Amino acid sequence: MHDAESKEWIGRLRPGHPRHQDAVARLHAVLVRVAVHELSRRRGQLGAIAGPELDDLAQQAADDALVSILRRHEDFRGLSRFTTWAYKFVIFEVSGKVARHAWRRRTPSDDEPAWDEVPDRLTPRPGDRLEQREQLEILSTAIGELTDRQHEVFVAVALNDIPIDVLALQLGSNRNAIYKNLFDARRTLRGRLAAAGHPVAEEEAAA
Amino acid sequence: MTDRRHLDDLLRAAEGDAGCNAGEDILDAYVELELAGEDPASTYPGTAIHLRSCPGCKADHEGLLEAARRFGDEKPG
Repeated sequence: MHDAESKEWIGRLRPGHPRHQDAVARLHAVLVRVAVHELSRRRGQLGAIAGPELDDLAQQAADDALVSILRRHEDFRGLSRFTTWAYKFVIFEVSGKVARHAWRRRTPSDDEPAWDEVPDRLTPRPGDRLEQREQLEILSTAIGELTDRQHEVFVAVALNDIPIDVLALQLGSNRNAIYKNLFDARRTLRGRLAAAGHPVAEEEAAA
Repeated sequence: MTDRRHLDDLLRAAEGDAGCNAGEDILDAYVELELAGEDPASTYPGTAIHLRSCPGCKADHEGLLEAARRFGDEKPG
């Protein structure tokens, strides 16, 4: 069921509508604003990117999103407002472009922890309680016994906070496949802790 | 690192996780339910589970929710 404004958007975006060009220009302008806002929200991944470069990224994201929207707008099913459906495309474009930017700007000289190194905080310390020490030792051993790909993904994403899309680019993969590796690694590690008498209960409350 | 909550976050792998691809098609509908004050988890339980575990999809979801809140009332002219 389409609301009146969504119907208006869909109608005007159809080629042949007398206000087609105006609607396309209007949509593009809004997509640019959404892209700028989203890029600013993800600024932490963008490093020292300057204003014009940020604007250029926003334009590119809006351009690419507009192409997808115009190609698929007849598929809009009305499960949301048209604007929410359209903004999804520009959010995905921004997400991908931010990841590519972050991946390209990484250099071997970056003063950051290596993606594939288990952080020191997983090493038991003298002050830890006995249960904590046991948990850490089991976890560290189990991490070392993951498959190569699971180890690589778990250490990078879960322990070193490497964005999942950046790692996907690094490994020539995609988010869904990397997430599957992460999920399998986590399940294996949970299983190992449980088998050793240290089960990790699922948190019921929404995050 | 090893307090129970942190460990649960680190190793979160809940049954019923719909994965990344399943959420892409319905993320707009999911957000619209949230904006309407409804519980999207009752309609899309697998995606609700996924959004708690996947940092990439979580970021996209937060971005779309904020965009729909701020710019959702834009009209075609």
